[in-house]
Amino acid sequence: MSDETLLRVREVTTTFDTPQGRLTAVDGVSFDLAAHESLGVVGESGSGKTVLSRTIMGLQPRRGVSVTGSVLLNGTEVVGASEDAKRELWGRQVAMVFQDPMTSLNPVVKVGRQIDEVLRVRLGMGRPAARARAIELLEMVGIPAAATRYGAYPHSLSGGMRQRVVIAIALAGSPQLLLADEPTTGLDVTIQAQILNLLDEVQGRLGMSMILVTHDLGVVATRTSRLVVMYAGRVVETGTTRDVFARHRMPYTRALLESSPKVSNPSHTRLAVIPGRPPNLLELPPGCAFAPRCAYATDRCASERPVLEPADEPGHLFACFNPLPPRAGSPS
Amino acid sequence: MTETLLAVRDLSVTFGPRGRRVSAVDGVSFDVAAGETLGLVGESGCGKSTTGRALMRIVEPTSGTVTLEGVELTAASGRTLREQRTAMQMIFQDPISSLNPRRRARDIVAEPLDCWKRAAGEERRRIVDELLAQVGIDPVAYGDRYARQFSGGQCQRISIARALAMRPKLLICDEVVSALDVSVQAQILNLLEDLKAEYGLTLLFIAHDLAVVKNISDRVAVMYLGRLCEIGPADTLYSAPAHPYTEFLLGAALEADPEAPRRGEVLQGEPPNTLNPPSGCRFRTRCPFATERCAAETPPLREVAPGHQVACHFPLTIARREGAGA
Repeated sequence: MSDETLLRVREVTTTFDTPQGRLTAVDGVSFDLAAHESLGVVGESGSGKTVLSRTIMGLQPRRGVSVTGSVLLNGTEVVGASEDAKRELWGRQVAMVFQDPMTSLNPVVKVGRQIDEVLRVRLGMGRPAARARAIELLEMVGIPAAATRYGAYPHSLSGGMRQRVVIAIALAGSPQLLLADEPTTGLDVTIQAQILNLLDEVQGRLGMSMILVTHDLGVVATRTSRLVVMYAGRVVETGTTRDVFARHRMPYTRALLESSPKVSNPSHTRLAVIPGRPPNLLELPPGCAFAPRCAYATDRCASERPVLEPADEPGHLFACFNPLPPRAGSPS
Repeated sequence: MTETLLAVRDLSVTFGPRGRRVSAVDGVSFDVAAGETLGLVGESGCGKSTTGRALMRIVEPTSGTVTLEGVELTAASGRTLREQRTAMQMIFQDPISSLNPRRRARDIVAEPLDCWKRAAGEERRRIVDELLAQVGIDPVAYGDRYARQFSGGQCQRISIARALAMRPKLLICDEVVSALDVSVQAQILNLLEDLKAEYGLTLLFIAHDLAVVKNISDRVAVMYLGRLCEIGPADTLYSAPAHPYTEFLLGAALEADPEAPRRGEVLQGEPPNTLNPPSGCRFRTRCPFATERCAAETPPLREVAPGHQVACHFPLTIARREGAGA
């Protein structure tokens, strides 16, 4: 397994200095990602999932942020790497697809040129070769009339088409790891299905690893092999996607699953509700961050911080003092 | 059947100057019975929000009629319109920008009462406290806080309290949970269900999320490019959609269950430009079953089962599903 590991994240903690004090957005996160594997990172707003993906990329503002721990990407340490070293990684080792395709594209540069840039600067291609390759990439991400669209400006494309362009840019350097942060949030359902299928397909075809960061459990359910569930900056449960859905032990995971409405349930099905709201990261309780909202919380949960411990299934870990009983068989 | 509260007939809304006219809503007709929840789903640009706004006359309908309790809103003006409008209230998608950040929760909820001089002094205070308590905001601890001090979910609760202040009959909810986290979304959906029972409300619930719409609705209407495709009881429409577009839409919905079977094909392409919609059936350019007839004739809404109507020349009937081996 170890020689297959593409990404090794160990005890990563990212803190921000804010006028209100020090805020810990990501708190001691560790996981491994194998080559060709797809991992889902799920959580609500403020869970640290986006900061985690940016930390893995090495994308931080220079001031007010401190990162400790280790992010080893294909043998290269990202934490503390110089800008030059990171620039070597970006594009060729790791690339990112952001949520909002309009703000991740330059509105006054033709989309083809934005793909070219990666090819010319990162891979040292000449203009004609870069242009031909850019058109190839546009075709690969399913943009019709790719040669014509090469000269289009982002504003003339729909949201789904723009996200395809962003994916083409990310794929231009043939990265080994693709980080997709909420890649389909804000897109219509039918377009979302197209984009997720496209990501699936290119991941398989190019043999990449992928980290899919999302708040939507539906997005990761059938598209990832492993999951990391985050709450208030910490990993609270991780395991194979099937185990996390069907045999979760952490009450938060269950609450998250049961509070999302399902198409297969009859109408007017009463939703299970988690009382309260996600915690303020500046005022985290000393113990388990979920304890104030948890039905199973005891005094110990309020004072002591649970660490990840193994469940029955291999690779399945959860952080809880009063876990749900192990469940065998099919999901509820 | 129970009495009809809201009747919408041939509602059309067009925007823009002559020659570059966008038909956002085109000939939409439906009824909402008193006490029911009608869900309105569709993708962006399908006209679902414009329909909701046209009912309130926030945007003026180009043609068609909207009748609330026998009063034709589209013909009313001035005081009659204003009075009728108190019977219908709207809640919007972005809870934070729907509230003035520099006003206190209590004053926001009292605003409609003040406007209509419905209550003052001690009574006003009592009504406001009751409304806040009902939406889950403690009036003693939080009533005097400013809107900017609340989270998105709490702001949405205050918006709901404000909408209820006039004791409306119809509540139009436009994407009211789409900006919220899953756990908060469930709280608001359950709250709406409870308030609906308590106040005897009728709901028009506009949203893009199919699971959310099914959860809260008795009946569901599906829109595509300004027109109604299909309308029917929620459970029937989801289990046996009759319009090919509904089938594709449901197929694209993501279920939070790794064991869930993927429902068939993914719809290819994107909706055509609303400036120049296709002739006949607007879905025909993406529909695998389209024929020449679909281009020539606009399919009218017709009943395929009691209470289940579809606008398609070739609806997906049970016989056809079995014939296709599906």
